[in-house]
Amino acid sequence: MRVPTLPLAREGFHAPGIEIFEWPDIVHLEVGGVDLSINRVVLQMFLVALLVWALFFFAFRAPRLVPSGLQNVMETFVDFIRNQIVLEVIGRDGLRFLPYLTTLFVFVLFGNLGGVLPLIQFPLNGRMALPAVMAICSLLLFISVGISSQGPAYFKNALFPPGIPWPVYVLLTPIEFVSTFVVRPVTLAIRLLANMIAGHLILSVFFVATGYMLTSLNVSMLFGVGALVFSVALIAFELFVAGLQAYVFTILSAVYIAGALEPEH
Amino acid sequence: MSESGPPEEPRWSGANTVWSIIGTMVAGVLAWGGIGWLLDRWLGTRYLVAVGIIVGMAGAFYLIVKRYGSG
Repeated sequence: MRVPTLPLAREGFHAPGIEIFEWPDIVHLEVGGVDLSINRVVLQMFLVALLVWALFFFAFRAPRLVPSGLQNVMETFVDFIRNQIVLEVIGRDGLRFLPYLTTLFVFVLFGNLGGVLPLIQFPLNGRMALPAVMAICSLLLFISVGISSQGPAYFKNALFPPGIPWPVYVLLTPIEFVSTFVVRPVTLAIRLLANMIAGHLILSVFFVATGYMLTSLNVSMLFGVGALVFSVALIAFELFVAGLQAYVFTILSAVYIAGALEPEH
Repeated sequence: MSESGPPEEPRWSGANTVWSIIGTMVAGVLAWGGIGWLLDRWLGTRYLVAVGIIVGMAGAFYLIVKRYGSG
């Protein structure tokens, strides 16, 4: 019998697949035909929401002029969103969106960080529900910002780009509609979801394979040592992706708000 | 910050331009491809979805050139 060269091609190794994103219900709940069951992901979502609330609540409950401790840490987040996103993308006019954007950033970040946290080990945004709801929030926000700052002309400005002969609008208006009100939220949600799914799958496959090779009691233990070293680097990479995707989600929401505030030139 | 002096391009604007160009391309294909697909279902034909995709791409290119071509 021929022995496969690749250490993982032998029998007994099962690579984790997309089924690691499925969790059984802990509490089965159905209200009016709508499934509101609570599983591990929902519990984690409650936990992250509570954590974000508690962090901000205790940091700014009795704010001091010279911040220290937790207030210092949380002010770093607020300052970062204020200076790097709001002032940079929208300008001073956008400071009223600072609370929304900060909450969005911190919530997405903490949701993502679950993917590399020992014992939790699941990125909250690896399920479509949260990215989708947050993308819909951003969509509704920039539409209402557009209506409140430009009135009904917002839709005219968004759907009929200036400087184009009018018969061409038949061709372009459907494109503008889909691009502004469909592609924007969908890409916002999918970019975050796909990054988290990919990261979680890579980490899972790597760690399961590392464990399998290290306990194989033959030459592939050597590969196992290499994989173990590399998996540490992968965790660092996932930390980076968690922060980057939270940043991208927030800055694109800010860009869409900025676009709704004033008509295109 | 660029509150005084000549307006300078913010750092994020390049990435944003790229994303909106990609978004416009996808939207062109989706919008007119979708219209073609619906017409196909309605008329019982099979080629209008392809025509729609090409029309949508052409429209998207036109929009991108109009919007970003001069600057």
